[in-house]
Amino acid sequence: MTDIAVTAPAHGHADHAHDHDHDTPGFFVRWFMSTNHKDIGTLYLIFAIVAGIVGGVLSGMMRLELAEPGVQYLGGWAEMLGGAGDEVAGKHFWNVMITAHGLIMVFFMVMPAMIGGFGNWFVPLMIGAPDMAFPRMNNISFWLTFVAFIMLVGSMFVPGGSGLGAGTGWTVYAPLSTSGSAGPAVDMAIFSLHLAGAASILGAINFITTIFNMRAPGMTLHKMPLFVWSVLVTAFLLLLALPVLAAAITMLLTDRNFGTTFYDAAGGGDPVLYQHLFWFFGHPEVYIMILPGFGIVSQIISTFSRKPVFGYLGMAYAMVAIGVVGFIVWAHHMFTVGMSVNLKMYFTAATMVIAVPTGIKIFSWIATMWGGSMSFKTPMVWSLGFIFMFTVGGVTGVVLANGGVDTALHDTYYVVAHFHYVLSLGAVFSLFAGFYYWFPKMSGRMYNEFLGQLHFWIFFIGVNVLFFPQHFLGQQGMPRRYPDYPDAYAFWHLISSYGYVIMGVGVLIFFANILWSLVAGKKAADNPWGEGATTLEWTLSSPPPFHQFNELPRIA
Amino acid sequence: MIQSLSPKAKTAGLAGILALAMTGLGFAAVPLYDLFCRVTGFGGTTQRYDAAAAAAEPEILSQTMSVRFDANVSPELPWRFYPEHPRDTVSIGARDMAIFIAENNSAAPVVGTASFNVTPTQAGKYFTKIQCFCFTEQRLEPGQQMRMPVLFFVDPAILDDPDARDVQEITLSYTFHPVDGGKKAS
Amino acid sequence: MKSLKTPVIKVLIAAALSLGAVGAGQAQTAATAPAEAPAATVAANPAPVAAPVEAPAATPATAPAAGDAAAPAADATYVPMKPTPGVGQPIDRGIDFQPQVSPIGEQAYWFNHVMLLPIITIISLFVLGLLLWVIVRYRAKANPVPSKTTHNTFIEIIWTAIPVLILAVIAVPSIRLLAAQYEPPKKDALTIKVTGYQWYWGYAYPDQGIGEYVSKMLPEDQAKAAGEPYQLAVDNRMVVPVGRQVKLIVTGADVIHSFAVPAFWTKMDAVPGRANETTFTANKVGVYYGQCSELCGVDHGYMPIAVEVLPVDKWEAWVRSKGGNPAGPVVETAAAPTEIAPAAASAALPAAKN
Repeated sequence: MTDIAVTAPAHGHADHAHDHDHDTPGFFVRWFMSTNHKDIGTLYLIFAIVAGIVGGVLSGMMRLELAEPGVQYLGGWAEMLGGAGDEVAGKHFWNVMITAHGLIMVFFMVMPAMIGGFGNWFVPLMIGAPDMAFPRMNNISFWLTFVAFIMLVGSMFVPGGSGLGAGTGWTVYAPLSTSGSAGPAVDMAIFSLHLAGAASILGAINFITTIFNMRAPGMTLHKMPLFVWSVLVTAFLLLLALPVLAAAITMLLTDRNFGTTFYDAAGGGDPVLYQHLFWFFGHPEVYIMILPGFGIVSQIISTFSRKPVFGYLGMAYAMVAIGVVGFIVWAHHMFTVGMSVNLKMYFTAATMVIAVPTGIKIFSWIATMWGGSMSFKTPMVWSLGFIFMFTVGGVTGVVLANGGVDTALHDTYYVVAHFHYVLSLGAVFSLFAGFYYWFPKMSGRMYNEFLGQLHFWIFFIGVNVLFFPQHFLGQQGMPRRYPDYPDAYAFWHLISSYGYVIMGVGVLIFFANILWSLVAGKKAADNPWGEGATTLEWTLSSPPPFHQFNELPRIA
Repeated sequence: MIQSLSPKAKTAGLAGILALAMTGLGFAAVPLYDLFCRVTGFGGTTQRYDAAAAAAEPEILSQTMSVRFDANVSPELPWRFYPEHPRDTVSIGARDMAIFIAENNSAAPVVGTASFNVTPTQAGKYFTKIQCFCFTEQRLEPGQQMRMPVLFFVDPAILDDPDARDVQEITLSYTFHPVDGGKKAS
Repeated sequence: MKSLKTPVIKVLIAAALSLGAVGAGQAQTAATAPAEAPAATVAANPAPVAAPVEAPAATPATAPAAGDAAAPAADATYVPMKPTPGVGQPIDRGIDFQPQVSPIGEQAYWFNHVMLLPIITIISLFVLGLLLWVIVRYRAKANPVPSKTTHNTFIEIIWTAIPVLILAVIAVPSIRLLAAQYEPPKKDALTIKVTGYQWYWGYAYPDQGIGEYVSKMLPEDQAKAAGEPYQLAVDNRMVVPVGRQVKLIVTGADVIHSFAVPAFWTKMDAVPGRANETTFTANKVGVYYGQCSELCGVDHGYMPIAVEVLPVDKWEAWVRSKGGNPAGPVVETAAAPTEIAPAAASAALPAAKN
């Protein structure tokens, strides 16, 4: 595909002419009762940026605390947030921070940005649809996510056992999350996950219905842009995985409050069952976070190489394969829980299989560039960074897939390094790539190219300094989720904290760039990227009209 | 009726049904997991002898198996609980009885119930209990000591399983918990 | 920074003292061992257990052993060993795995260093090289007219098949390593019962008649005084003989913990309500540290593990200093009664061999 020839009179300016009979609603109605996919997408992006700031500040506090051995700040922070200022409250606050950082980044930063933000904005545009299938449901999804986020943040200020907030880790393992954490904080955090999950399921139904029913004439499934494919596969993952999480955490709630014993051995339950259920959701969740990123990177690589995506069908079905295999590998997160050798061998082998479709994607991206005519605008630079960093994160995943090796590395910083390479350097790189790629389309103004490039290089150096030494810490044996450590780990922790500072400078440049560009950026053309950008959103004005495709485009 | 729905409603309805089915599956995982553990001995779940279903008494072999007994008490249960002997050697296929001793150290009657499994986990399928104190709740009066038997045998089929036949010692582990459900968080 | 740390130490000292676990300090004698044991159990069951009469041991052998405590006092020469720098603990600026002292650890380390690490390094550099090549060769200036190639079945088969082959090559030693890790322990393995508590470890040696004793982190000043790394040093170590297989029966008392010793390539979750089994064989005398590896609450980071590997004779002396019998297993009942033994009969065999 990708060579879409639009034959209908669907050009943006033509659309604009029809726009006057649907006047843009007033501020309150437009932003609080919005049913417009672009406005909701914008809301999701703003929301994700705010959540990202909260999650990022939390990680900054953690890196500050870990910069040198000893517990320096935790008690003071706990006191500032209204808790006791003693040692116990401080160490509890540490657990609250790791929990909140994980949950916020997963559920309120990456997912809303990828699916809610870019998915809402560009899936209808790319398939030539006027809007999402269920615009009001779309609005409900956003506000549910918003309330979920407020609940999660609120949970940090109510009692959670040994201090304020839920200190269970984002995995919320029983029995630490049941009998191990008194107080309403964990209930609130669980309820927040329920709301966020419900929002995502509604969103998934919306995307599936939109993509199956509202493609423009001639836009067959096998002509859809890869970003739409990635969102379709992601929506199915959400639809199949999130209900299982909902069931699992509902049983946590009843175990906590109504005396059931689903996960309590005292009543014939099994805490390991919770882990199975959680990771049955949790592993697909990892792909939920990265697949839309694959889609974004595919669009960008093709655009800036001025060449159609290489092996389009292979790329699409590699994502389907990753999604399917993602459901049968979950127990590799539980290699040390005490499972039989056969099971471990199976999960080792099944996990390694994922490397094959992932490899197909990496090589297809390179083959797309091969023979192309590449320009290195900011989105392209981020995409190139994505490919390399995701490869590095991917190969350490192959190491961890080996059940025998994971014995030593499970729950160490090696795992922390691994998943930050695929998420913080993978998913986040693709988010920045997508943001710069579509910023002109969304805002109607060009970003500042110099600041974009500067942002990339500083961020790239920062995150590598931040996360690469964590491989060393993990190999040396440093466990995860520790507020303090023996002196021998001090050197690499300090380097890692310096990396955070560098990364933080990069993020500040990003914000400066957005603000500057929104106010003073050059007006963006309909298609600022030239002939390489062939998808339908570039046929519209920048920004697109409030309602687009009143006459459906026809795809040859 | 379904024909009258719009295509969008059909797709959304199917997707919604799929989500509901997965929710159901999430809850169904509880009994299914339990069944799976009991059938396959997963996680070291022991088998329960069913006289009616057993075609014949197992053959008693000359090979022996060491069986270790392990006892734990939940911190919330004011009991002392220990095996009479830390281990025993039994002929494979032969019935054996082990005694566990429980004492209530508190001033009130306490009801406890035991969870259990065997290690290594692959032996669970072949460790069959005929009679066990863990099948029912146990009530101990203040200061009372109770001797609790467990009657078991090691299934000779263990020698036919390439994963389990090299097992030289099976550990049978119990943990006693209070029954009153005192594990609630809030 | 130092002043901020003092409260931790104070809290810990107070907690430790109130539990009576530190009182004995480093000097473990035959006399202190049994006295320490009940204290340990009280700590283990802090809830409604009021009666300290409760003996900790899961085996009846302990009681007689405690009675005999005076007899083997001559053997009580156990002094905690000093750790070897760079062994059994992380090193400053270290980037590699800790030196492995068990056969499984050596096998796994070999697998990682001879296969996995080179393969993943080569793959990463290969991808980086390809990226740099296309960036240079196919930049717009160097290649103004893009090609229109979008398919090449041959190359697509190649980049599917080669990763499959690489993974197959990795899978063989990986599966072999798993099989070796799960080889059932030998009959003469030393069995140690490990229980994870919030937030310390309990160790018991059922066959030696050593009841559960508690192992807690040493406060900073005591660790430094003992020449041990703070946050790894503990008051009472797990002590094992060199070269003998050790079988750990691991369980958790309250929430899930995880017993881990990096130098042995060992990690096993301690799940409440169920037992897990794992093994290791330490082939080098020394002290090896580990840390709890599953989030278990406030003091997750403060319940380290220390395993001391001793020559057999010194290990036996340690066992005697703990009031145990190094020659255990304690009881072997007559093999396989086909009839159900009457309960009273088996009761007549208490700890006789002790």
